[in-house]
Order: sequence, then C-alpha cells, then structure tokens
Amino acid sequence: MMSCDIVLVGVGGQGVLTIGDLLLRAAFDADVPASFCPTKGMAQRGGPVKVEMRLGREGVGPRIGEGGADLVVGMERSEALKGIRFLKPEGTFILFDHVWTTTGAMLGTDPYPTLEQVTRRIRDATPRSIVLDPAELPSVNGRRAPENVYVLGAILGRSTVGRLLDPKAVERLLAERWPEAEAPNVAALRAGWRSGR
Amino acid sequence: MKRITTGNEAVALGALRAGVKVVTGYPGTPSTGCIEHLLTMDLPGRHVEWSTNEKVAFEIASGAAWAGHRAMCTMKMSGLNVAYDALISIAYSGTNGGLVIYVADDPGVSAGMAEQDSRGFARMAQLPMLEPVSPAEAYGLVQTAFELSEKTGSPVFVRLTTAIALSRAAVEAGEPVPPREIDPILERDIARYTKAGAAICQDQHRALISRLERAAAFICEVGLNRLDLSDRPGGLGIVAVGGVRAYVKEACALAQSTGTDRGSASALSDVSILHVVTPVPFPRDETGELLSHCGTILVLEELEPYVEREVHVLAHRSGWAGRIVGKLDGTLSPIGEYGVDEVRRGLAAAREGTVPATEVRSSRFAVQGTKAASRPITVCAGCPHRGTYLAIEAAIERAGYSKSEVMVTGDIGCTILGMNPPFDLLWNEVSMGSSVGLAQGYVRAGLKTPVIATIGDSTFFHGGIPGLINAIQHRVPLTLVVMDNGWTAMTGMQVNPGTENAFQDGGRRVDLEQVLRGLGVDRLFVVDPYDLEGTTDALVECLQRSADVSAVLARRECAIQATRRGVRHGTTTVDPEACVLCKRCLQMTGCPALSLPVTTREPGSKPSGDGFDKLRKLSAASSDAEEPTTAVDGSSTATSIQIDVAACNGCGLCVPFCPTGALTWRAAE
Repeated sequence: MMSCDIVLVGVGGQGVLTIGDLLLRAAFDADVPASFCPTKGMAQRGGPVKVEMRLGREGVGPRIGEGGADLVVGMERSEALKGIRFLKPEGTFILFDHVWTTTGAMLGTDPYPTLEQVTRRIRDATPRSIVLDPAELPSVNGRRAPENVYVLGAILGRSTVGRLLDPKAVERLLAERWPEAEAPNVAALRAGWRSGR
Repeated sequence: MKRITTGNEAVALGALRAGVKVVTGYPGTPSTGCIEHLLTMDLPGRHVEWSTNEKVAFEIASGAAWAGHRAMCTMKMSGLNVAYDALISIAYSGTNGGLVIYVADDPGVSAGMAEQDSRGFARMAQLPMLEPVSPAEAYGLVQTAFELSEKTGSPVFVRLTTAIALSRAAVEAGEPVPPREIDPILERDIARYTKAGAAICQDQHRALISRLERAAAFICEVGLNRLDLSDRPGGLGIVAVGGVRAYVKEACALAQSTGTDRGSASALSDVSILHVVTPVPFPRDETGELLSHCGTILVLEELEPYVEREVHVLAHRSGWAGRIVGKLDGTLSPIGEYGVDEVRRGLAAAREGTVPATEVRSSRFAVQGTKAASRPITVCAGCPHRGTYLAIEAAIERAGYSKSEVMVTGDIGCTILGMNPPFDLLWNEVSMGSSVGLAQGYVRAGLKTPVIATIGDSTFFHGGIPGLINAIQHRVPLTLVVMDNGWTAMTGMQVNPGTENAFQDGGRRVDLEQVLRGLGVDRLFVVDPYDLEGTTDALVECLQRSADVSAVLARRECAIQATRRGVRHGTTTVDPEACVLCKRCLQMTGCPALSLPVTTREPGSKPSGDGFDKLRKLSAASSDAEEPTTAVDGSSTATSIQIDVAACNGCGLCVPFCPTGALTWRAAE
C-alpha cells in the first residue's frame, strides 16, 4: 500500500492541529490506516506545535524518526527549521512563509531567521522544496482565506498525499465541518492545490 | 463501531465497556483527556469527577471498589506520587470490585515535571501493570485490567505514555455496558481493611505476593505477552516493552533496507521477539524461553531498565551466557522518549557490537547554522497572573529590595510562568503545594529578606493547605500569594473546588477567602490583579511586616474562560501619533497581544539588549530603545505598537507603562 509519513510544524494558533485532524478524518473515511500524534507546549497560543502523521501505515508507532518523513510541512518560517531533521533525503518540504515573530525578536534581544537562511537549510536537506508566500492567499468577500486550509491544499496538490486521499473528499469534509465557511475554505484549498504551478 | 479516538479516550471507552461505576482523577497532561471525554457524555448510573487531588481520587475509587463496584482512577505520573500513600496500603488489602489505576508517563517530558518511570511504583506495590502500544490496544487492555483485578483481587495499573495517550487512531469500540446492579458490599474485616498489628500486616503481605502470582498465571493463560520465536536458534532475541513494541518491525526493516544491518539476507528472519505488555509481573517463563533460544538479547524499554534487570537476574540464575544489550551496557539511554531511532541504535549494537555513526542520533543534522527562534512560554493576553507578577515586582522594589534578594517560591500550573521573561520572578518549581513549604525552609535558614510563596487556586486546594497550616501554627513570617483564577487552567480548564457555582455541575463552590480566614490567616488582602496599584499596596504591606503569615488573595477569572463567555474587561487602544516605539509596554508585560510590524533584526548583527529586564527605568527607555529597522523582507517600517484586537481582552495592564500616554483604556460598557 502507498504510504506517506508527514511531519507538520508551526505555532499554536495557526491551525496546524486542524490540518492533521482533517487528514486523519479523510483517511479514516477512506479506510486508509492512519495515526495522528500532536506535540504542543503548554501555551494556549504562540508555542511550538508539531504533528506527526502516518498515512497508509499499519502496525507502526505514532512517532516518526529522524530522516523518516516523506513530507515535512513548515507553517511558520522559524519553526520550519525544527522540521528539517525529520526529512528523508528525497523527501518533500513545503514551507509556508508565515512569520510569527517572538517578543524577544521584537525587542531586538533574540535573533529571528530570514527567509533566505531558512530556505538555504531546507535546500541543503532536499532538492524537493516548495515555498508558499502568504501574500498569495486568496481573499473571499474581502477576507483572507484560512492559511491552514491553503496549506492543506498544497499538501494534497504537491505531495503523494493527493494520491492517497481524494481531494474532493477533503473538500466535502471541510464543507460538512464548517458549512458557514464553505466558500473561503474551498477557495483556500483550491488555491493551495494550484500553488506554485 | 469504528471511530477515531485518542489513547485517553480509548481508556475511557474501555472502562465504560467494562461497566465502570466510578471514575475519579486529577487533571495532568498527558492523562487529562480520559476524564475530559467522560465528562462530555451523559452517563446515568455512573459517577465521574475531578477530585481535589490524586490521593483523594484514588481513595474514592478504592472505596467504591471495596464496596464491590468497578472503579477507575486517572492521573499523570506526578499524581501517582501523591496517591501512593493510600495506594500501597490498599495494594496490601486488595480489592473486591475491579480497581484500575490509569497513569500516564511522559518520557521526553513534553508537559513538564520529573521524567519518572511509574513502573517502579507498580513493582514496589506488587501490582500488575499493563502497557498498551496503541489506542486500539488500550481500549481492550483496560477491559482486561478490570477482569484481572477481579480475578485476583488486586488493583491493576494501566500505563500509557504521552505519544499513545495523545495520539489519535481508529479504534473499534463496542457499546458501553452499564454498571452491575448490586447492593454495595458492607464487609467488616479488620484483618483485611486495617493495618492493626504485625500479624495482620504480614498476612496481607503474603496475600499481596500470592495475588501477583495469580495475576502472572492469568496473564500467561490469556497470552498477554506474545513470544515470536524465529525458526533458527542462536540468533538475536528482542525484549520489547510497552510502547516501544510499535517501532521494532519498522526499525528492523529500515536497518535491512539501508544496509546498516550487515547480517545475511536472512538477518530479520532469525530475530525472535518477546512483546512485553506486563512489565509487572515480569513474564519469566516467556523470557526463559527466549533466552534458551537466542544468543544475544536486546532489551528495548523507555526510561529505567526495570525489565532489563529482571532479564539479567533470570539469565544469571539459569546460567545463560549470552550478551544482553540495553541500558546497563551503556548502549541506550534512560533519558527521553524512544522511537525508531533508538531501536535502530539498539539493533546495530546487538548485531555488530558497536553503534555505527549512521545510527547515532542527529548525526545527519548536526546542529549548525541558523537556529529557530526561542519561544519562551508566557501567560496569555489578559491573564490576571500578569498583574500579580507585575505587582510583586513593583512591591519588592517599593519595599526597598531587589529581585535578586527576595525568594519567591513557585508552584505547579499556569502560575509557574512567572519564572519566564519578562518577569523572571520565580526561583523554583517542585510539586503541588511545595511553594508553601519551601518558603518556610528559606525563612528557617535565616534569610533576612522577605520570602514570598506563590500558588494557584487549584494547586492550593490540592496540596498547599497543609503547608499553610504549618506556617500559621509556627508563626512563620512569609507572604503567601494565592493566584485565584477560578479554573484549573493549564491542563485545559477543569473545574476545581473554587470554581464558580454556575460551573460546578451540581457541586458547590468552596470559597478560598473563607478557607484562608478559617485556617487562621489574620492578615489577608483580597485584591483584583488588574488593579496594579491596589495589589502592589497590599503586597508592600505584607513585605514590610516581619512576624506571622500574611496572605494576598489575587482574584480574577482566567481571561481565556472569561473571553469564551464574551466577558470583556475593557478596551485598550494605542494612539499611533503619541507612540514613540520605546517598546516599554512590551518589555514590561510581554503580552502576546502587543506587537511591532517589525519582526527581525538583520542576521549577524549583535543583540542590542540584555533581556526583557532592560529599560526598567523609564528615563532610559527612549534613548536605549532600538529604532525600528526594516522589516523581514525590507518592505515596511513600524510606526507604532500594534494591539491584536482579537487577542486583547482590555485588561489594561500595559497602559501604566506607557511613558507618552499613547495607550489608553476604557471600561467595557
């Protein structure tokens, strides 16, 4: 069976856990074995968040080893650095270049990486990297579409996940769960799917 | 029905399926989700509660089980330390109804506290312990645990670790089974239910040992610990314990595919595996079979080498002369969570006698180059604790001391965030309620400067009260600050004894003010931590008094909970014309609702400050402050501090720190 081990990293409040949750639900509905393992700090918002997902794998533990992920998704520029060590040598890295700065960086007491520094490290690790610019997020009725759904679209469009799970089923799942936000969610998902093409 | 559940939820569902009548516990990551899940359900004929602490919770569950019903108690590993006093006594007495203790350990320490191995407690209490590898197995093993408990008359542990407790996967779960309809057993048996005399206690000790032997027989009979022997004797035998079982096959396959396993093509087929579900009782017979079949043994278990030591003893006693690879020979570490990397390391050492560089953690990605920005946890926007920390800082200064000479003991929960920037106020964190005892020790040590103990509401109810009684009795001059936000917040907003009646679900609120006065705190100030001036005044009075206990009860509901109900304290706004970007509001409060559009300094330049403590003096603020520089992508320049209106609840705590009056606050209508 086809499979995909995924590590998602980001900051609490970006909807990283929701991406994992939607992928898990879509896998469950499609009878694809899957597990979802969240790691989050104690902060409500603004703390580092990691999700490990094992799609299409049965009889394996919830955690992914170093160099074990087919796909690593960084939802935030600085946190993305923490995902690199999980990447397989030929794995895919999707960076959504959102900047969620820290108080220390704002006060000028802590460093915060530049996009160039981060992409250099990603490109040292894999030839397959995709950088998504948050400015590309579509707007629906004057409001920016949700970034996590946009990234979910990119995951489906730019990795093997799109072959494991039916993107149409993910679209239906979004509509079921948030019927009032169907239009922006679908727009975000499709824009993510088309991103970088 | 097949459904997605966490390990915690699977434990809850398994207990319902087993007809559990009473479930009690105290919140603690990663175990909290079990009772949280039960509390979302309508469960007629059953009782589920968050108890005052784990010892109380365990005693309630035990009473119900002695009365003949099935009962379960849940806690994180630190909670087991609290419950253990009662637990070991009840272990010696045994149980009537099935009694299951669900404990969640945290190897890798994702939630704070000591990286302890609760299996040691099961060994000491001689109680069986079952360790599932997945949510699906947890669902089944909880039911087995109840059966085992009733078959043997022994309380039984179910232990999960963080990754299994919190991860989600598909679980096939049946319908809940209602509790048995029986009259509670009223059995008066001094020899069983008391410790009255040596003869009774030693009889109970004998009974305890025989219960564990019966448990071993039951476990063997139902085949909980599976032994897969290879076709060819003399090869490698793996003893894989608990959650680590999940990674053995994957690591073997990886070792073969990447060529680090340089055995023959048949390398994997000569591996025998003992899957250990019950570290207590140790599966002696199966391990004996494994030893006699194999030439080398690899023991894979997280944290302490409990099972490995048992393997060594058995090998020694049976005269087995092979090699045992694990922690005792230095191959593997007792620290941290195990995954496929650790198993590969163990495999390589067992196969080749050495660990090749490719199997050493992080070798491929040796830490070099750009690092991720650190994100120290601070309190949420609008958190009332922020006001308390700021007031303590101000009071220390106003009373004529410096922060570096005033001991402020810390405690468990959100209140401990005062240890981090920008406050850097707390000196220690030990266990529930310890701030109160530790503070007295510093006073007794002869400290000439004031000593302050800080503690949250739930933590105070849980473990702070005995310490306070001691301080009152012995007239210890210290200042106790109880930070009462009405919820057990850090674990995800559970109800505690001090929570408002409206959320007590039939229970009643215990008023902390009455508790403090009732205990004999004569000098008690009840303050609102959003009132920085009033809170500081009260603290200064406490610090300037030299005899007896003083207490400040800083009361204000958790901002997250208040905001969820649509309660707004006020509105804080910034006047961009007046803001000079001195960043003092940010430096003093560290509030996550405040930000600058500017996000980084240029790479390679040196930090311009010396921590958030910089610029405490107003006069220095404007001159020292870093001028706004170009934004990350060189595109925009900050003109003023930004307030995230979605995050800000209008607490107004930042307002007094603005030297130019750019921040203003008005009360909510």
